[in-house]
Amino acid sequence: MPRFKSIISRIVILHVVAVAVTSILMSLALSWLLNYATNNIHNQAMKKQAIALAEHLEIQPDGKLKLSLTPDLQGLYSQPYGRYSYAVIDSQNRVVFSSLKDRVPLFPRDAKSGDVEFLQRNRGDATVSGASVKRVVGGQTVWVQAGEDLDNRDVLTDDIVAEFFRSVGWIILPILFILLVIDIAIFRRALKPLRQASQIAETIGPLRADIRLPTKEIPREVRPLVLAVNQALDRLEEGFRVQRDFTADAAHELRTPLSILRTRMETLEDQQVGKALLNDIEGMTRIINQLLDIAELDSFVIDPHEEADLRMVCTEVLEFLAPLALAQGKEVALVGTANSVLVRGNAEMLNRAIRNLAENAIRHTSPGSTVEFVVEENGTVSVLDDGPGISDEERDFIFQRFWRRDRGMAGSTGLGLPIVQRIAELHTATITLTNRKPRGACFSIKFARLSA
Amino acid sequence: MSNGWPMRLLIVEDNVELAGLLAKGLKAAGYEADILSTIDEANTVLRTTFYAALILDLGLPDGDGLGLLREIRHRNIPMPVLVLTARGGLQDRVHGLRSGADDYLVKPFALEELIARLEAQLRRPGHLLGGVLRIANLEFDTGNRQASINGQPQLLSARETAVLELLMRSKGRVVSKKQVEDHIFGHSNDISSNAVEVYVHRLRKQLAEMEAKVQVHTIRGVGYLLAENK
Ligand SMILES: Nc1ncnc2c1ncn2[C@@H]1O[C@H](COP(=O)(O)OP(=O)(O)O)[C@@H](O)[C@H]1O
Ligand SMILES: [Mg+2]
Repeated sequence: MPRFKSIISRIVILHVVAVAVTSILMSLALSWLLNYATNNIHNQAMKKQAIALAEHLEIQPDGKLKLSLTPDLQGLYSQPYGRYSYAVIDSQNRVVFSSLKDRVPLFPRDAKSGDVEFLQRNRGDATVSGASVKRVVGGQTVWVQAGEDLDNRDVLTDDIVAEFFRSVGWIILPILFILLVIDIAIFRRALKPLRQASQIAETIGPLRADIRLPTKEIPREVRPLVLAVNQALDRLEEGFRVQRDFTADAAHELRTPLSILRTRMETLEDQQVGKALLNDIEGMTRIINQLLDIAELDSFVIDPHEEADLRMVCTEVLEFLAPLALAQGKEVALVGTANSVLVRGNAEMLNRAIRNLAENAIRHTSPGSTVEFVVEENGTVSVLDDGPGISDEERDFIFQRFWRRDRGMAGSTGLGLPIVQRIAELHTATITLTNRKPRGACFSIKFARLSA
Repeated sequence: MSNGWPMRLLIVEDNVELAGLLAKGLKAAGYEADILSTIDEANTVLRTTFYAALILDLGLPDGDGLGLLREIRHRNIPMPVLVLTARGGLQDRVHGLRSGADDYLVKPFALEELIARLEAQLRRPGHLLGGVLRIANLEFDTGNRQASINGQPQLLSARETAVLELLMRSKGRVVSKKQVEDHIFGHSNDISSNAVEVYVHRLRKQLAEMEAKVQVHTIRGVGYLLAENK
């Protein structure tokens, strides 16, 4: 069975096959009917001819039979014409009269036969078909046989059949074709709700797991499929919800004991012991935060109508990071447009993405350098540093979860860039990474700009 | 901190251990803290008792701390509320602040940070903590608006004093250029674009002359930050 790409092509092909099969069957049926009809006509004609011949039979005073044919009948059975023949046979199976020179019976005689019989027999190359009529003339029983050479007749019948198809074919084929076109139109119409449902289905993603396919206009035959899809979506959404709940619970369960640990350390009498442990706690806190972020992002659903001011978000990130950067002897600066840049997206997520890029930049530069944030009117935000940059080989790895160049670096999780990437993905934003001259990296994210 | 009386704070936190440790830490900083662990108790107690500030955990056994926060705002209790949350998630931050919290901290936080935020709230105009702001050898008396270095009063113009006060109130945090502008000039519109820069520049120069061990950092494109010299 061939595979079909679309229902319409399946319909067209099956329809063409059906038309072909129907045409063949119809021809066969028609030719059978025609044959049957011509046979019938032929048999009746032969019977009439035999009866006509019998009417010209008479018994003579000497008891012998006499056949006196009119000239037109003689012409009909004349040898040169060859189409019709007759024979008269008596009860002793002798041929009394015949239009044939060799004077043989046209058909074998059967004593038990009825008054009229239709028979067929091969004579040399020819096939003779005709009727045998039983008659009693002057007390003698005779069989009058009339036959027709079928080779002659067939020519005519074939002509009729061929002619029939030529004229009827012209009518039937266009009708079948029009039927095909109408069928296609009907099916396209019937499939319209499905096409609409597909368009809606296209918008379903982790971002819009709440959308369901409409069932109202859907044909009854397809409705179970649509319902099943909707139920699958319910389960999917439930899955997302379970993960979100889990992340929220995990956050609480992890952060609260960490908080106790930290506060206990800070309220210790002996501040010296606490110092080193506090560093460990900070590293651990960072790892937990990154893990919770990535887990939350895996099941995050953003409202497609949300908008954020990219410049404002950058300002918040800088305000947050500036004290930390200054404490390490590094500077941060916001350049680019001074206007607000409205983009489609969730402000907190944008904050998280930019913060991760900025933390990386600050971490990989030496004291005295400045990390620059550039916001452009077209919805692009870039973070530029003058650190070691990203080598070509590393490009393939940096966005992989848990990859980092230096595994020993405190608080390094290898989750920062995957978080950035996931956030970009959720916003259908693109990340570009370039190396700067003479050194340094530039990470850019381009978000969808909203016309203000 | 204020007139010898320890200021009373209320901690609403269901984790007894953490609440106890916070109270202990706050006591060391000169505050007296009561501990409650449910919204219900807090609602009852707040009807009869006055507290200088509330430290509110969000995940409480009988509901969301935000409910209590709304109730407090509804009753017009003029008390700063500092929200603590374990849900530092992507959807939580803005949510908490919109419901009327003055500030929030995600667990785990530094005790020092908690106290700094608390004091920033208490020092806001109309709140209880007056007195003296201090960074390194620089002091600022919010009562008579007098700056001094090593106890020696210094002479500053009104505008520079205003800038200094704002920066000292927001110690360790970035103050946006717009905030400085609004603070010195009010919300008038016709201010030359570099007026703030001029005053900050003058203040910086004078702080250096006064040998203050502090630095006004410019965060280009964002604002200013006053920090101790390293
Ligand atoms: N701006 C940068 N300059 C140089 N290397 C970087 C930069 N940003 C990221 N990297 C490299 O990519 C690795 C992965 O970064 P990231 O996913 O943010 O994890 P983490 O910062 O926790 O190590 C880092 O460990 C570092 O080796
Ligand atoms: Mg990172």
